[in-house]
Amino acid sequence: MAMNRRDFLKVSAGTSGSLMLSLSLPGCSGMPTGYTQETGEWKPDAWLEITDNDEIHFTLARVEMGQGVYTGLTTLIAEELEVDPGAITPRFAPVAPEYRNPLYKLQLTGGSTSIATSWEPLRTAGASARQMLILAAARVWQVDAAECSARQGRVIHPNGLDSMRYGQLVELASKEVIRGDIALKPASQWKYIGKQAGKLDARAKSTGTAVYGIDVELPGMVYGVVSRPPRYGARVQAFNDSEVRAMPGVLDVFEIERGVAIVADKYWRARKAQDALKAEWDNADALSLSTDEVFASYRRAADEDPGESERSEGDYDAAVDAAGKVFEAEYSQPYLAHSTLEPMNATAWYRDNSIEVWAPTQAPDLGRIAAARVTDLAPSDVAINTTFLGGGFGRRLTQDYIEEAAAVAYRVKKPVKLIWSREEDTQHDLYRPAMLHRMQAGLDGNQLTGWHHQIVGPQLLDWYVRNAAPAQYPWAPKFMYGTLGKVGLLAEGIATPKDMSAIEGAIEYPYNVDNIDIRHTHTDPGVPVTFWRSVGYSHNGFAVETFMDELAHETGEDPYQFRRKLLAGQTRHLEVLDRAVQMAGWDTPVAEGRGRGIALFRSFGTFVAQVVEAGVENGTIKVYKVVCAVDCGRVVNPRIVEDQIEGGIIFGLTAALYGEITHEGGQVQQSNFHDYQLMRQYEMPEVTVDIVQSSEAPTGVGEPGVPPVIPALGNALFALTGKRQRSLPLKADA
Amino acid sequence: MALSLTVNGDQRSLDIEGDTPLLWVLRDELGLKGTKFGCGAGLCGACTVHLNGQPVRSCSTPVESAAGGEVTTIEGLAEDGQLHALQKAWIAEGVPQCGYCQSGQIMSAAHLLATNPAPARDDIVAAMTGNLCRCGTYSRIIAAVESVVGNSSMENSLAYDATAAGEVS
Repeated sequence: MAMNRRDFLKVSAGTSGSLMLSLSLPGCSGMPTGYTQETGEWKPDAWLEITDNDEIHFTLARVEMGQGVYTGLTTLIAEELEVDPGAITPRFAPVAPEYRNPLYKLQLTGGSTSIATSWEPLRTAGASARQMLILAAARVWQVDAAECSARQGRVIHPNGLDSMRYGQLVELASKEVIRGDIALKPASQWKYIGKQAGKLDARAKSTGTAVYGIDVELPGMVYGVVSRPPRYGARVQAFNDSEVRAMPGVLDVFEIERGVAIVADKYWRARKAQDALKAEWDNADALSLSTDEVFASYRRAADEDPGESERSEGDYDAAVDAAGKVFEAEYSQPYLAHSTLEPMNATAWYRDNSIEVWAPTQAPDLGRIAAARVTDLAPSDVAINTTFLGGGFGRRLTQDYIEEAAAVAYRVKKPVKLIWSREEDTQHDLYRPAMLHRMQAGLDGNQLTGWHHQIVGPQLLDWYVRNAAPAQYPWAPKFMYGTLGKVGLLAEGIATPKDMSAIEGAIEYPYNVDNIDIRHTHTDPGVPVTFWRSVGYSHNGFAVETFMDELAHETGEDPYQFRRKLLAGQTRHLEVLDRAVQMAGWDTPVAEGRGRGIALFRSFGTFVAQVVEAGVENGTIKVYKVVCAVDCGRVVNPRIVEDQIEGGIIFGLTAALYGEITHEGGQVQQSNFHDYQLMRQYEMPEVTVDIVQSSEAPTGVGEPGVPPVIPALGNALFALTGKRQRSLPLKADA
Repeated sequence: MALSLTVNGDQRSLDIEGDTPLLWVLRDELGLKGTKFGCGAGLCGACTVHLNGQPVRSCSTPVESAAGGEVTTIEGLAEDGQLHALQKAWIAEGVPQCGYCQSGQIMSAAHLLATNPAPARDDIVAAMTGNLCRCGTYSRIIAAVESVVGNSSMENSLAYDATAAGEVS
């Protein structure tokens, strides 16, 4: 992304002798954005602030949900500012255009984009501040600024002896003007990037002092719970208002769009009152399907509609006609819940014709829209305070929980904390969609001549645009929000120019095959769906890398060599593949009762290869080892990269071993961790993560660990049992 | 009902329905927000505290059953302004990702070390298996506990030496 470094730099003197640098993180200004810049309406409050007593505050434009931006983005600023990252106090950003993610034009944390989109602007911001402090010191000392340097929060005099604290210089520095581009430090001079291993939030999170959404406390706060209809899309018909109202501590009981809200003075009293609630639901528009019907409808759709062509190379039909052998397989994956350990919650306070919200959200500007939509307020009347997030994984991109809290607060006119139970969190999630994949390949001897992949299932933006569109068109009247979503989507794209959610990871098929035909049959059974850690890559990874394994087997080739031969010229793919194989001892015999499986997958710009060693013990699948090679370009914090990749592996293994949300008569059948299980400590395999040292631009690490581990495990079980599993979750007795 | 608890060494008196889970008493009545709500069914361990020296799931412990008892939460783990060795290890090892489960993880580990100062790997895994982590920090948790086991055996031997020296003088 080309940009002039001066473009986004604004400087002002702070209120009490502090230097404030505006970080107007540049958007893709060359692209049509579809909205007018709201100058004047928004406060330019995107600041790096250094006070005269050397406090350094950094406003984090991305939220911290465990992926490490609190440390990683602060490290970028610190490196160029020449201070220890631990000397900087990050704070979470309010909603403002400056904080938008330039890739999405929304203030959104997702898509493994935080480091990649902040890499240049944040280092430039740190360098700019440093340069202004140096200019100010040089002016005081009457020396050449080029002879001065900065170190550990001080500007050093050319004599190497004298120095001044940044705090002493801020007032003067704020008057300095930078001419020309700011030079960034060469990699050889980095003190923290690539070396920083600590986490700035580890102390707060090890002492119980980190404030998550659920921990927000306000004066006179009351508690809300919402009973939602068991079947999605149903409406409230009637409920026993007076009985619930008579329960101890109950302050109000009323219908909101999504169900029946109960407000009480204490959380437990609200829950007990909820036990007394008897609600009848109008199921006229409610979901009624069962899981079998979802897959039946997908198969019908696949038969009837070959789907939109998403990538076409060579002549697939001719290739398959000429092929000596045609091989086919069908794969399916279930709906998956997010199961953030902190259940959905939000706290809202309606007063003085405005609403203030405290919430763990991945998309605070969409939270504003959600709150405005259910009140008579405008988005600009809504303030969102973001907290630490007890997990995100895409769930907190959707703002339904803020919408509910706002609707309740608007009525009770007191600060209200709304908390979902685990059962509500599991049953009223928006899920990773169930998907179906039909794969076909043409083989001539051992030669793969044609690759066909038909993806069948919904697109996520169909579900997401309702709140996204008005955030980009804030001038639009509220009644237009619904249509605006579709218009925006068609006209120029909301989150991306095209909805890639169903096809990502399939269309980037990396293997050198002459004839390729990749299609998407768009069909949506009506189950609410949204982004889930690694999104489309999570299901396409399983289909592509399992089918590759099947083809290797069909041709009698080693699965590693089969892939390797089709990757000529793909140096980064080959590097991680070779490394993983080497670490795994691929050529050595595997222990009795175990199988090894391999998978290679690129997502979010990051290359990942994994080898899984697994077996079956006492009727359950046992994963012994996962070795993983990852190339994510430049590494800011190696420990966080390892953690994210390993965390992604465990997230993927959880899906492969357990993940399955099923419906019966429109109702979700799972409710808590006994029937929607997560991997536990005793199931942990030995995980080794090897990071390629690279000077390429940094790419994401939050999600890319997930996709390959699922097929790698399936492939390992095939190697052991000779039985191929084509649907998830995997079974020990398949 | 009126009841009292000793929480992190302080006597606290309350008037509350006896079936209220200890979790919500700690969080909302006593303002100790470090103990987390995860599942409400004793399945995830995020709400783990010590009651009379035993680890309990405070989400499923009615406060009346804890009446008169001694409760220790994550906020009470530090002693004399010094973080618990496990907390120091958690920070040094950089265990937390989202961090939401970590209070419960640390409380489970603290009970393990209080009852078994030199646990083997299998003991640690068994003691920590009731605590879910959705981010997948499991191997860092083991490393952090093991680093304390290594250190505490050293500290114990030093403490023993100091006592011995005291006896001699």
